[in-house]
Amino acid sequence: MSQNFDQLPEELQLATSAHVKYIQSLDARKDEYDYWLTEHLRLNGLYWGLTSLHLLGHPDALPRAETIDFVLSCQHDSGGFGAAPGHDAHILSTVSAVQILAMVDAFDELETRGKGKAQVGKYIASLQNPETGTFAGDEWGEEDTRFLYGAFNALSLLGLLYLVDVEKAVNHIAACANFDGGYGVSPGAESHAGQIFTCVAALTIAGRQDLVDKERLGRWLSERQIAGGGLNGRPEKKEDVCYSWWVLSSLEMIGKTHWIDKDQLIAFILRCQDPERGGISDRPGDMVDVWHTVFGLAGLSLLQYPGLQAVDEVYCMPKSTTARVLGR
Amino acid sequence: MADQGGSQHGIARTSRVRTEDQKKRDLERIQKYRELEDQVRSYVSRGDYSASVFQLTSKLLRLNPEYYTIWNVRRRCLISGLFSRPSAGSSCSTACSNTSPTATTTPSSTSSSSSSSAATPRGPASQTAGRSGTTAEASSSGPEASEARGDSNCDAAAAAAAAAEQQDLSTIKTELSFTIPLLLESPKCYWIWSYRLWILQQAIQRLRSRVSRQIWEEELGLASKMLGKDRRNFHAWGYRRHVVAQLESATLQGGSMVEAEFAYTERMIHTDLSNFSAWHSRSKLIPRLLEERGADDAARRAFLEEELSKIREALNVGPEDQSLWYYHQFLVLNLVYPDKHPVMTRGLTTQDRIAYLTREIDEIKDLLEDYTDVQLIYEGLFEYTLYLCQLEGRQADAGERADLVAWLGKLKRLDPMRKGRWADVETELGLKEGRDAE
Repeated sequence: MSQNFDQLPEELQLATSAHVKYIQSLDARKDEYDYWLTEHLRLNGLYWGLTSLHLLGHPDALPRAETIDFVLSCQHDSGGFGAAPGHDAHILSTVSAVQILAMVDAFDELETRGKGKAQVGKYIASLQNPETGTFAGDEWGEEDTRFLYGAFNALSLLGLLYLVDVEKAVNHIAACANFDGGYGVSPGAESHAGQIFTCVAALTIAGRQDLVDKERLGRWLSERQIAGGGLNGRPEKKEDVCYSWWVLSSLEMIGKTHWIDKDQLIAFILRCQDPERGGISDRPGDMVDVWHTVFGLAGLSLLQYPGLQAVDEVYCMPKSTTARVLGR
Repeated sequence: MADQGGSQHGIARTSRVRTEDQKKRDLERIQKYRELEDQVRSYVSRGDYSASVFQLTSKLLRLNPEYYTIWNVRRRCLISGLFSRPSAGSSCSTACSNTSPTATTTPSSTSSSSSSSAATPRGPASQTAGRSGTTAEASSSGPEASEARGDSNCDAAAAAAAAAEQQDLSTIKTELSFTIPLLLESPKCYWIWSYRLWILQQAIQRLRSRVSRQIWEEELGLASKMLGKDRRNFHAWGYRRHVVAQLESATLQGGSMVEAEFAYTERMIHTDLSNFSAWHSRSKLIPRLLEERGADDAARRAFLEEELSKIREALNVGPEDQSLWYYHQFLVLNLVYPDKHPVMTRGLTTQDRIAYLTREIDEIKDLLEDYTDVQLIYEGLFEYTLYLCQLEGRQADAGERADLVAWLGKLKRLDPMRKGRWADVETELGLKEGRDAE
């Protein structure tokens, strides 16, 4: 791929300004029914949007002060965050809150105006199952390797990973491994690219990539690319832009990104963008949303598409953020 | 995070410009939705989890089953009133302290707080200190209680417990019915599946085990129904595994269902050879299946042969199907790594394993007569030939080496997408054409 953006043919041009405007418009859609139906994803949505903007090189396109105010308004006394004010605390929104505060460099505001880092850490740690090491999403007990990864992600950003039993969690991930090198939602579950990302990223955070069968997993992951260049999440399923992240980041973590055709994947992701009104969809011609937008952009960033900021394959945040927060 | 809820999948992109009529309609829907939401929040802020707010959660969840907080409100309504209350003060209740970590607490203890997450029924995962729930609140009026009391002098308490069980049974059934249309409409919504499992957990805690068992047994039907609609739905497969594990547990006085579940994978594969979810499930069931059959070495060997022949037949008709090759790989891995996968190959000598693998390679070579341009065939031959050398503890001979080079050439041509992988393989094995063997 050419390193010079201007020399790319039109179908390979990223509609950067349209994407920025699209993301900026997301909170101004209060006259649309879907805006209200998706309030349970508001904090996640802010994380997806903000990450997109950072990768697009427009980190200030959302107002910083309002962003911090909103994030803090979602916090409960327990330390956990809900999706929006009035929504219950859940690990998914708590991780988004931590990631957003990390990106806008506002952990100090969490100390002074929020409940403090320690309380967030305590909330997350309380969700670990002391017997199996995995994590629940909230007080009601649903367990999933997504939540385990979320816990490792947020706790490591906060410098509080020592609050949980890392070894037990690692053993749980090992128990989720399958013969094909992949990982499922829980022990016994089928390998799924989304869960592979969560498990491999959690193992990477824990410094335990030695447990990953990289050859076998790399092969399975590379076989996710199908005709047309897109990636699917499981054998014999349709392609979807979001797997440009789950599959690709996993390949990157195990050093096998070159096992797929990068140019074809770039072309596929770009075919999914709406060049006029911004945003990226699951497949060409479908409705866009911020979720596919961020994972499409993060995929393009891993593929070193010209002009995009580098993304951290473990955290799905700008590398500049993780470098600062983790002191790398 | 890997939460797909709320994202758009497979919805055609249309002009995002709405007509005036559509805008008006949207505003009306928004107003109705927000009024409903405000009503629920108003009850919750007063700590009111009565039947009134419960009814409102039904309406709201039908409009938006992704609204997890409302599912939680619904749980709190059940715990704080709609389920039978713990029979505080009964002299018999101490005989039956419920040790299940999911024993619920009454949210009213924190009802003054508008922060709903401060009401803390404990999930199975969270036994850490610091939650407001107390064990006293968890004292049970559950099924074991009434059974324990059966021959005691607590007749009144027993009658009360029976009535309580009836009430809870009816509530549980209503809740299970409530979620069915929502699941049919949103089969990938995590929150509905999770709520349903929570209700089923309540059945275990509140009903006698044989009553509870009947409830759980019906869930298998639901799992089958959902998998009938979408054979790959991993929510439904996971749900099925969970339900089976519970039905097998001592809690529900269960026994092994491994034969039945194995037969289920057989049926699913019969319907659709390409259903990797079913093949995967099969790979997970085999160890227990052979164990429980008390299979001796010969029986295991016969079993392996049967599986190999089944997948070979499938490959004969679908050599382009990754699902089939993955299962074939699973079987071959059993042959190659007996320490890691000892189940089917117990008692096989290295010579036996070499013979089986050689036969597989020969059979795959036969596929080339009918299919000359199928990448996965060459990939299989390539991989398995290397395994054969590994099993025999030797390098590839000149003939094999020529084959490997030729197959790799085919792979590079047929599968240019993964050319990076083929280049790595080529380098690693020193197979560059025109290069001397190392």
